[in-house]
Formats: sequence, C-alpha cells, structure tokens
Amino acid sequence: MEKTTAASSPAKQTLIGQRIKKPDAPDKATGKTRYINDMVLPQMLFGKVLFAGRPHARIVRLDTTAAEKLPGVHAVLTGKDAAGLKFGFVRDNVALKDKVRCEHDEIAAVAAETEDIARRALELIEVEYEDLPGVFTPEAGAKEGAPLIHENFPGNKSLHFEIQHGDLAAAEAGSDLIVDNVFRPHHVTHCCMGTSCAIADFDHNGKLTIWTQTQYPYNYKMDLAPALGINPGDIRVIQPPVGGAFGSKLDVYPYEPIAALLAKKTGRPVKVMYSREEEFKASPTRQAAIIHMRTGCTRDGTLTFRAADVLLDNGAYTSWGPTIPVIMMRTVSGHYRVPVVDFKAQAIYTNNPYAGSFRGYGNVQTTYATAQQMDMLADMVDMDPLAFHLKNAQKSGEVTPQKSFLRECALTECLQTAAEASDYSRKRKEYAALREQPGRYKKGIGLASSIHNAGGAKIHKSDGIGTILKMDDYARVTVITGASEIGQGIDAVITLIVAEELGVPLEHVTIVNNDSDIAPWDVGVHASRTTFIAGNGTRRAARKAKEQILRAAEKMLGEPAQGLALRGGSVVRDRDGAALIKLDRLLRQMHFQPEPELVMVTDYYEPKSEPEGAKHISDHSAAYSHAVHIAEITVDTLTGEITVDKVTVAQDVGRVINRMGLEGQIEGGIAIGLGYALSENMRIENGMLRNPGFRDYKLITAPEMPPLDLHFIESDCAEGPYGAKGISELPTIVIAPAIANALYNATGVRIFNPPMSPETVARAIHEKRQATTQAA
Amino acid sequence: MTHDNTNRVTPEISAYLAPRRLDEALQAMADGDATVLCGGTDLAPQTESGARQYKAKLLNIRRIDSLHGIEIKGGEIRIGAATTISDIRRSAALAEAAPVLTEAAGHFASEQIRNAASVGGNLCNASPAGDMSPPLLTLDAAVELACWRDGAMQTRRVALDQFFLGPGKTVKQPEELLTAVVFKQPAADFVGRFRKSGPRPALEISTVSVAFGARLVQGKLSSVRVAMGAVAPTPLRARHVEAALEGQPLNDAAIAAAVAATAQDAKPIDDVRASAWYRAHLVRVFVEEVLNDVRRD
Repeated sequence: MEKTTAASSPAKQTLIGQRIKKPDAPDKATGKTRYINDMVLPQMLFGKVLFAGRPHARIVRLDTTAAEKLPGVHAVLTGKDAAGLKFGFVRDNVALKDKVRCEHDEIAAVAAETEDIARRALELIEVEYEDLPGVFTPEAGAKEGAPLIHENFPGNKSLHFEIQHGDLAAAEAGSDLIVDNVFRPHHVTHCCMGTSCAIADFDHNGKLTIWTQTQYPYNYKMDLAPALGINPGDIRVIQPPVGGAFGSKLDVYPYEPIAALLAKKTGRPVKVMYSREEEFKASPTRQAAIIHMRTGCTRDGTLTFRAADVLLDNGAYTSWGPTIPVIMMRTVSGHYRVPVVDFKAQAIYTNNPYAGSFRGYGNVQTTYATAQQMDMLADMVDMDPLAFHLKNAQKSGEVTPQKSFLRECALTECLQTAAEASDYSRKRKEYAALREQPGRYKKGIGLASSIHNAGGAKIHKSDGIGTILKMDDYARVTVITGASEIGQGIDAVITLIVAEELGVPLEHVTIVNNDSDIAPWDVGVHASRTTFIAGNGTRRAARKAKEQILRAAEKMLGEPAQGLALRGGSVVRDRDGAALIKLDRLLRQMHFQPEPELVMVTDYYEPKSEPEGAKHISDHSAAYSHAVHIAEITVDTLTGEITVDKVTVAQDVGRVINRMGLEGQIEGGIAIGLGYALSENMRIENGMLRNPGFRDYKLITAPEMPPLDLHFIESDCAEGPYGAKGISELPTIVIAPAIANALYNATGVRIFNPPMSPETVARAIHEKRQATTQAA
Repeated sequence: MTHDNTNRVTPEISAYLAPRRLDEALQAMADGDATVLCGGTDLAPQTESGARQYKAKLLNIRRIDSLHGIEIKGGEIRIGAATTISDIRRSAALAEAAPVLTEAAGHFASEQIRNAASVGGNLCNASPAGDMSPPLLTLDAAVELACWRDGAMQTRRVALDQFFLGPGKTVKQPEELLTAVVFKQPAADFVGRFRKSGPRPALEISTVSVAFGARLVQGKLSSVRVAMGAVAPTPLRARHVEAALEGQPLNDAAIAAAVAATAQDAKPIDDVRASAWYRAHLVRVFVEEVLNDVRRD
C-alpha cells in the first residue's frame, strides 16, 4: 500500500491518486461523532407526528382537546395550522394534511417536554376517518374513472416527459430483430442508519435556524420557505454529521416544516426524529415503474433503435422521484450508439408511499432494462455479448441523440478490461453449455454496463459552487465551501487537493461546509457531482492563494515567482527543491509588513454544461462516464438462492483522486445495488407497508458482500479536476442487470420484476422446467 | 434521553427482580403477574414494538445457576432453560450426543444474538419459525415446567409436541417457568439433520425449516421423527412424512414417498416473508436434501 507522506519531503510528489483517510473516520469508527440524532439543545421540546395509518380517507372529525390539556404538552398542530402552506415540486404537499392520501400522511403534531408525554398526547387525539377507495398501481390510477387523489390533478397525472429522435417506423422496419419486454422495477428505500431528524428554532426577529440532514442546503431554503410562509432568506441551515442520505435528503419532507411550525408556536427549539418504523413508512422510495422497452438491431448486431414507454408510480405527492425520467431518457438514448430513440414517461399519482431521489436516479431502473435487452439481442444474433457491446460502444467525440457530448469516452476500454480480468467470454460459453445438464447448482456470468453524468447535471439554473479559502499566521488552511459532506468523502478530497496545491500537511486543512450563513452557494450533493464541481472549485481557490503567496515570496526573496513552488510546508525553488522560507513565516511576514496582506481568496466555479432545458436536448453535464460490471454467481436451482461469487468492475473515473475513497464509494454503491437486485423489497399492499423493519426488509450485510475486483480506467477528463470524473452512482446502477444476465447464463431464466429473491428465482426456474416437461 | 420506537406508552414496571434461587423466582411469579426476562432477544423487540406489554414485575432468571448448563445423566440429556444458543453450539457433549442441535444452533440468528438468546426463551416464544423447536422435536424432547404452589415447588413434564398451541402460545401457565428441556440420549445409530432457509444467509428468520432424526440400521430407517418450522401455526411433527419412511430402506422410492407426503403435513400460509407455494416447495426440497445427505454419509 502506498503511504502518504504528503508534504514531508521537498521532492515533487503528487498526492493525487494516493489513499488518504477520511478525516471523519476515526470519530465515526469509535462512536465519538455527535450526529444530529444525538443533539439536545437547552429548552428543547420533542415533537411527535400522528400518522394516518390508512392509504386514502377523508377526515370526518379531529379533536385535540384532551391532548392539549395533558401537562407537559406545549403545542398541538393539525391541518388547519398548515392550511395553504403548499410546498413540493408541484406544490401538492403540506406539512399537516386535511385529507389522507397515503399511509404516512401527517395528521397532527405535538411538542412536549419529553418524548413520552408527546406520545401520550398523540394517543389522546381523536380522529374519525371515512375511508375512500384507493389507487395502488399506476395502471389503476391512469384508468378512466379511477379515484382522484388530488382534485387539481385530473386523471391522477403527475409529471410527463418525452423525447423523440429519428424516424422510429423506418428504424423498426429496418431492424432484423427486436426485443420487446415489460420490466417492473420495485420499491426500495434508502435505509439510512441515522433516521430522519430535524431541530428547528426561531429567534425573535423571525429567523429560523434548522439543524437538518439535507444534502442541498441552498435550494433547501427555497423549498422549505413556502411550507412555512417565510422568506428563504430568513432560514439558516446547519448540517450536523448525518448517518447517510443517498439522495433521500434532496428534498423537504413534512417532518422538517413540522419541527419549524412547532418551534414557531412554542418559541422553543423542537426536535422531530423518526423511529426506524416511522423511517421505513415515511421516507421516500426509489420509484417503482413499469417500463415497456423495445430495442432493435440488424443481423450483424448493429443497434437500430430503442423505444421506452414508462409508467411511474408517483405515490401520493410529487417529490423528486417523478423527475427521474430526466436521467432515464439519457440512458435510453445514450446507453450504446442508438441512432433512433423514442422515450415517453408519465408519472401517475397513487396512494402508495411517494418516491424521492435515490443514488442512481432513474438510471437504476432503465439500466435494468437496457442492459438485459443488450444481452438478449446478442443472444438472438448469436454473438458473444462482449463483441455485441464493443460493436455498439461509443467512442470519444461522439454525441448522443440527446446531445450528450462524450468528450472522453472509455467504454471500449472498460469492456475489454473487465472481460479480460474475469475471463468472461470463455466462462459464458462454458456455463451456457452446462445450463441444460443435470445438477442442482449452476454457475453463471453476466456483463452489464451503463452511462451516467459524471460532471454534474445542470437541471437547475446553476450547477456551480462557491469556495472561500483562507490561511492563518501558522499556515493552517480553512476552506469554506458549499459542498456538503454526507459521508461520501468530499472532505478528504478537498483536503487532498489543498495539500497538493499548497504543499501543507493534510491535517493542517480545516473545512467549514455545514452552515448556510457561512458557506457560499452550491447546488448540493447529487448527480455524482461533488468531487467534480467542488474539486474544481477547491483547486481554483487554492491556485489563487498559491499565486498570491508566490508573488509575495518573489518580492521578499528576489526569486522569480514562476521558478518557485510550495512543498513540504515551505516555499521551494522548483528546479532543485531547495527550501527558501517556511510557509508560516512567509505568511506572517505578509501579514505584518508595512503593506499588509492576508491570504483570503474566493472563487465561483460554474461548469461548462448546458441547462437541461424543457426539450431535454442539451449537453447537460460537463462529463459523462461508463462502468462495466461482470458478475459471477452460483444459483441453487431448487431454493432459488443466488450467491454472488465475484464482481469485476471497470469504471471510467477520469482520474483517481483519493484511491481509498473511490474504492469505498464503489463498494458501498455495489452493496446498495446488490440489495436492490437480490433482497430489498418494500412489500406495499393496498398502500400499506408490510415490512417496516430490518427483520423483513433485507439489506445486504458484510457476509453477503462478494469479493470485488476493481479496475479504474483513467480517461483524463479535460474539464475535471486533475482529469477526474464523478463516480458514485454508476456502481449502484450496473450491478443488478449484471446479475440478471448471469442468472440467464446459468439457468436460462430472466426476471423482469426484481428483486431476484430466492422465491422469485425458484418459481421462474420451476415454471420453466414444467413448461419444458409439458412441451416434451 | 431515550427514543422509543412508536407512538406507544411503555407500561410501568413496578419491580425488577433478579433472584439467585429458583424457589425465589417461582414465588415471585406465583401470582402470574411477572414477565420473565432471560436473553431478551425476543422480549425486547416485542415490547419495543408494542406487540407485547410488560407485566408489573420484570423477573430476570439469568442469575439462577440451576437453570444453566448441559448435563448428561442416566441416559438423559438435560439443558437448562437459561443455557444460551452459543453454549449449545459450543458444547462438546452435545456435538457428540446430539449433533443436530449443534447444527441448528449454528444457523441461529447472529453471533451477538446467539450469545444472549436462551433455549428456554426460544421455546417459550413459540414462534412457528423458532430454530430450536424442529431439532428438539426430532429428539422427542420434553420441557420441564415448574411453579410454586401450596408452599412448595411443583414440576411437570410436557412433551414438546404437546407444548405449542399457536404463534406465541403454549400450554405453560403464567405462574409456570420453563426450567429445562430434556430428552433421552439418542442411540449410537441415530442420525439427525437440520436445514433452514431465508432470503439472506445471516440473521434469518426461517422461511421454512426441516429437521430429521431416525435410527439407521443396515440401511433401514426406524424411530423416524421429522419436524418442520414455519409451515403451520406451530412447529410440528410431520407424521405423514415419518410414516412414509418408518421401516423403509433409505432409497429413491422412500425419499420420493417422503417428499410426496410433505403436502399432508405442511400447511403453510402466504405472508410477508414467503408465499405458501414457496414454503411448500422448500419443504419438499429440504426433505429430499436431508434424506439424500443422510444416505450419502
């Protein structure tokens, strides 16, 4: 293992690509970290929420008298207290409801001296409901005469998206082979180890301070304000350490305005924190969808078109979930060279839990479809899937039908590297030949890939970031940045870049990035953007500081600035590495000289990408990236259990920045993707979640993690910091179809309705065997 | 500061008792108003979720020495109720005398839970999916129930297959304490197997489980006992499967008959963990698997 000796040696040595520890890791590993969930403020009250516990109903009577009289209760709020305070992507949500549209709808909220009193108060609230017929699938919601969930959304229609490119009819006519399937990706949820939590407090000027887990603090202010009827400028967002987010904290959810409304009413800080059961029921989901996909090719294996008709289960309210087609369509149109594309997506309101954003953002669902259809077509034209993928793989400089410009494209290298490392082609042939032979356990190998934005995604007006960098008299550096740390490791990346540019030890870098009143604008942690965007912002700020320092050194030392460098805590002569002056000494001299100066720079970085636009034809990211996963599995054909023996990953990362952080992100992403593929499943029956706990909702844990063989392809992205691209979503996106293709290789069975749980796989194999027997 | 699970008020526990002597424990619960705590691995989540309420007294029985330990005496094996699953798993005596229990203990939950959970608690919890029940049923085990009555300790024995009444329900009275599980030391030619499944290898609650025990003399089966978990409201003895195997040589025909007979014994339901179809399917797979496994050895 390479050891980082950072600035201890004056010899030129780069930190880029080294393995450095996350600065927050020791405290997290030893239990010292104080998460938001641990926080207690003086005078703080505890807020609790009364959930409807039914999917669709009218509230006939609501009486809070007894609850209000309970000693220790400071406030009881109901729908009346939030009336008109609409929030959400299409302003269809309020913090407290006057009608029930899903199981976890918030009917009333209490603030009390203790949690126990708050809980007793909830029991004293009398509610009488009149249940209404519900809508539990998007097909049912789209039917004429279906119960209406929101009166102002006729036909239960939420968001709609479409793009067309090329002549579909001609492309279909020109296709020798077409695959046509309906995929039904399921509901899963984030399962953050830290449950949802917010603490709100108003001062006497009407300014709200909210401690919350948000991963987009600046747009968050804009989204929270209408739920409270206040100006976004009157909100200060503080982000204590969080126990995971994964996209779930990319929106405002009702517990946050509820905490604020309770705080306003009581004049005291109020904390609302979910139990695990509440977390399961009230958290956003990865959106379930029905994807009708067709892909065509000619007999020589050239793709001709891809068409997708998508029906999305919006759930009861519109969060970011129904916007996932923005990414789905990029995959449908850009996953391999597809000349003709037809994509439509309609989100339909249902009485199910509502969907939010989740690592992979729509691409998890569509890649499950596209990557399996690639495998099916290869089979139909009798090509090794590797050859089929290579034939259709884009090259650098190509532009997709949606105008994604693939400047540095390493898909071919990813395919070749992963296939070679896993001996894919030989094993695939061997396992396919054994498929129909007797034997309970079958081996399979499957290849899948995908494309994802890797340089942000300009779905807002800006995709930029502000950075402030200052140095003190001891050469300690503080970076004040909009980039949020939600466990993904941006603090380590920023530290590494500062140390690289300014030649200071890693431990001399402090990051301030958790207070919206201090740190400047950033869009937030999403779209695999933070290393790319904040990495660029940090590097630009550090270089400005370096220029200022070297200019001062030139003046003091009489050596030209261009011949100087910062290394090992000193100003050195670049040519021979000779240390000329200690950096802290120089900084003090700059500060205390007759014409004093402080090193204190600002930077605003906006990536060179185009706004998404209403037509969705734009180069919306500053970079795109590919990953290839090859999964090797063993299937117990009787119990249906899949054991993942090994996963080989080749991913275009642009350039490795923090190698250890990169490995961690890929491993973690695969763990989430494996859960999606194999075991995680929200069992929602008639709008009610039947497995709101880890007993019956199965995450992938350490014993089930397969060995991973990671290969990082460095395509050197011109726009990225040091050539890096964003990396964090692809591992979650690609693994499930790789396993699905391996399952086919092993057994001849395909699962269109994940997860590939033992029961689903056993039943499919059983039915296939019965059909074969009957045919014989 | 504590954060509880749901909008539910914890009933007050008026007394916490942790006696060192069995008679003291039995006297404390003579009024039927005590919740018995041993490992707490089922009790804690059930009370936390509101599925179960504490009684006025919380009675910790872990300090009572006589409830711990594994003893083989006079051809009988006696496992104290407070013996942990880890103790069972690591017992050299059991590995020798009743390896099917060692095997089942190895599949029980996770290391942390095995270290706390007791065999008595696992039986009293009366889950249809309880992991210790099927192997103990194939060992023809009985449980000892003790209580304090008329100024003295009274005990009775109940065969394990008469003990369970339904999910969470047993014949044990509120004033009774399960003190031990006992069974005759299996004959030298006794063979046993345990198989369970769930959607993930670790920390599972059985989708279904199957235990098999029989004497195997010159390829012929006798004293056949087959037990199943999670296929009915209680763990059960699969009498039809047993009948299909009793006195038979362990061959393809007997195995096929046993597999066919599972349909008469297993009456599974659809629930959040698995469908009835899958449970019935798995029972067939597991019966065939354990029988083939015995045959191979």
